[in-house]
Amino acid sequence: MRRLGAWIGLAAVVLWSLAPFAWQVLTSLKPYAELETLPPLLPGAPTLAHYHAILAGQPFGQLMLNSLVAASGATLLALLFGSLAGFALAKLRPPGRAATLAAAVTLSMLPPIATVSPLFLLTNAAGLHDTLAALVLVYAGFALPLAVWLMTQFFRGVPDELYVAARVDGCSAAGAFVRVMLPLAVPGLVATGLLVFVFAWNEFLYALSLTASTASRTVPVGIALFPGIHEVPWGEIAAGSVVATAPVVLLAIVFQRRVLEGLTAGAVKG
Amino acid sequence: MRSGRAESLLLVGPAACLLAVVTAVPMVHVVWLSLQERTPFRPPAFAGLENYLRLAADERFWNALWNTVYFAVVSVALELVLGLAVALAVARAGRMRSLVYGAILVPWAVPTVVSARMWEWMYNPEIGVLNHLLGARINWLGDPVLALHAAIAMDVWKSTPFVALLLLAGLQGIPRDLYRAAAIDGAGAWIAFRRITLPLLAPVILVATVFRTIDALRVFDAVYVLTGGGPANGTETLSIYAYKVLFQTLDFGYGSTLAVAVLAVTAAATLVYARLLGGGTE
Amino acid sequence: MALLTRRRTALALGALALGALVGGCRAREADDNGIVVFRHPKLFGDPGPFDALIAGFERASGIRVRRDALPASSDEQHLFYAINLQARSREFDVLALDAIWVAEFAQAGWLRDLTHLLPPEHGADLFPGPRESVTWRERIHALPWFADAGLLYYRKDLLDRHGLSPPGTWQGLMDAARVVTRQRPGLHGFVWQGKQYEGLVCNALEFVRSHGGDLAAAQADAAARGLAFMRALVTEGVTPAYVTTLTEEPTRVIFGRGGALFLRNWPYAWRLLEREGSPVRGRVGVSVLPHAPGHAAAATLGGWQLGVNAHSPRPESAERLAAFLAAAPAQKALALAYGYSPPRRSLYDDAELAAAQPFIARLRAVLEAARPRPVSPQYVALSQTLQAQFSAVLTGARAPETALAAIRRVATMLQTR
Repeated sequence: MRRLGAWIGLAAVVLWSLAPFAWQVLTSLKPYAELETLPPLLPGAPTLAHYHAILAGQPFGQLMLNSLVAASGATLLALLFGSLAGFALAKLRPPGRAATLAAAVTLSMLPPIATVSPLFLLTNAAGLHDTLAALVLVYAGFALPLAVWLMTQFFRGVPDELYVAARVDGCSAAGAFVRVMLPLAVPGLVATGLLVFVFAWNEFLYALSLTASTASRTVPVGIALFPGIHEVPWGEIAAGSVVATAPVVLLAIVFQRRVLEGLTAGAVKG
Repeated sequence: MRSGRAESLLLVGPAACLLAVVTAVPMVHVVWLSLQERTPFRPPAFAGLENYLRLAADERFWNALWNTVYFAVVSVALELVLGLAVALAVARAGRMRSLVYGAILVPWAVPTVVSARMWEWMYNPEIGVLNHLLGARINWLGDPVLALHAAIAMDVWKSTPFVALLLLAGLQGIPRDLYRAAAIDGAGAWIAFRRITLPLLAPVILVATVFRTIDALRVFDAVYVLTGGGPANGTETLSIYAYKVLFQTLDFGYGSTLAVAVLAVTAAATLVYARLLGGGTE
Repeated sequence: MALLTRRRTALALGALALGALVGGCRAREADDNGIVVFRHPKLFGDPGPFDALIAGFERASGIRVRRDALPASSDEQHLFYAINLQARSREFDVLALDAIWVAEFAQAGWLRDLTHLLPPEHGADLFPGPRESVTWRERIHALPWFADAGLLYYRKDLLDRHGLSPPGTWQGLMDAARVVTRQRPGLHGFVWQGKQYEGLVCNALEFVRSHGGDLAAAQADAAARGLAFMRALVTEGVTPAYVTTLTEEPTRVIFGRGGALFLRNWPYAWRLLEREGSPVRGRVGVSVLPHAPGHAAAATLGGWQLGVNAHSPRPESAERLAAFLAAAPAQKALALAYGYSPPRRSLYDDAELAAAQPFIARLRAVLEAARPRPVSPQYVALSQTLQAQFSAVLTGARAPETALAAIRRVATMLQTR
């Protein structure tokens, strides 16, 4: 009976998460004539015309690549800096660590709309106008407070004794960090990495403001360029959002399967 | 396990540098702007606290503040509850776990602007899916009170995966032995949840709550696309108001003051949470 | 400890190198070799004709042009321009401007003075509305590119069936709506744009002005009558209550699937209503918007203008491009290809245009009478109040008199900025 309850709960969760998106997928397959009528719910004559329109008519491939570079770069940078800082704050316990964490969180409290102009001026001054590098640095910087906090929490969950034991066994601090601490914090790394990646992948305001041309434009801005002055191509927007969302979800599934399950299977917990 | 300050500094250094450049410098700039009179129509002038006095008397600010706080409190509360439910469900998913993981991530992965348009279409009174399925003619986005709740529902859908993801990672860090020991001692599922799960999840819950609150108090895109701040400014949040003042009125001074107000409210909320949920910062 | 430092240093250097590489690769091409950069929202349709037009210009003038798209949302464009022009960007030269921004940008010092590009004899060819909207302090700061005005679309088949003719007065519209919808329960009487955004201001001003009112105190009573009528449309059931969520496309969709008797929208909707597969194809009529007895119809002017960045490093080339695009031949080509209405009177007498786009030719009377929103640097700021107050009247939260008084208060306050 409990199993049935758990299954129902799971089904409800999956349904609730996927339903609106499933609606997007259905919309992306409807021919133009059916886009604005309801019923029918399902497309009468499913068509790939919208996908063709966005992939052939726009440099969507370039946009996806740009988004991938910006998001991956930001994630790697945030995870690297974040885990180093988190390790220090959790294990080395320097004085003033509470203040450091508080300061980091405070830095993320301004509305992004207020800092667009200052950052625009800053990236221009640094010669990074209209580059992906600007987006990577900005996204990583925005994601750092969360990354540092999360990594601090996850490192705190790793027992000190393991680190000490590794050092006693002759490992350098770096070695102990890489070979003992990091592997045990992987669930945290994956969760943090996914959140940062998705944030960077979907970020719109700064992508719009800091880039100007197709060479560095990202997917959300690309989708915003679909509509004409009044006309809103619902089919193409739906297709664009499916194409924009799919890689992220696949990424998550891959990470969940490979990394998390592989690790928690063999983890030894005290 | 203590260590030299130098080592800690070196490790925290890169993060601190990047944060300083990308967030601290602009923040200082914004605070400085909040004390100025800055529009493209007049030469810049120092205004001191004048902008803040204007803020205190600004009815539109108080309206936006109320909308924002209400939005944040309700949506974060719902996200916590639902996020926990989702995390618990996924943790027990067994073989299907990877696919379920991917499924629950979808709302978070859809670009915000797209998701807002999607929900706008779903909320359409005549040809929207919601009214179609409910067989009703509810004016979801056209009534000031309903619209705010409609925006909350959309945000909850979008952001629950964030909380669920964090809680799931936290759950995976709880040793199974504790539950086995509890079972051996005869404790039921609810007791195990209250005495083992919740306390050990508390630090992660704190992080999730704080960051979700920060994001909810700064909400802009989602609500703006859905309602534009209306009807009758009934869904105008602080960020929407700041955006309009900054980039429509082109009053960069007062707009920055509004931004600092958001910062103050968020900082206050975070302090409250840190006190209540405690223990996250030592 | 040493290993940690070395690895981190290596990584830091790597990141810097990558950044420099990516940053350096973005050569500042726009600054050198004189390419004129033109930023505009996407023209909906096949990009071919526009490309060909620009290519013709490049050949004839020897000036190279690069077009960069902007998001269609007016707000996003304004955001983009505000950030870039405030920072004195030199990255683009010619900009497409919404009808309501010219005075604001001119006052902010962001636009070049283009008075010399529009001598009186050419200026006389323009409709008065567009000409007024690009003039600030007696100087021209942008060249009108496309003109737009509010129109009344109606289901002529339904009106014919009940022996009604297209209404000239608002009361006539209400009566016609009541008669027809009584017979058809699912049909709405009149749909228009009532969401809290700029479109609401366009609609509300049409109601206000066609009752003889305006925003100034002298015409407050008539304005209140106009707003009261707007609210009455909802309370009398002619317009659905959820008009407060509607923008251009949703209203076009409702009308297009046969859901409404009357629609107020811009000319762009015609093409979509009359295309293959549209349920109302061949059954739609268009006319000037109704008015209150004794007053004139008052369509609000929309449309786009071409400005030149005050800090452009290539002002002469940019001006040539702007002048080219605003001249009659280019406007005719774009009207033929994309269906956007030109702001020049003479083109409406053109036989070829009348034959290929008969709908555009019929718009002449409407565009002649179209009135711009208040031309002032403070308009965009005032619009926030206009939107909120009009929305409050529409939802019944505020009485028209109170809303208008609030608008006047804010307008006065903004004058002093």
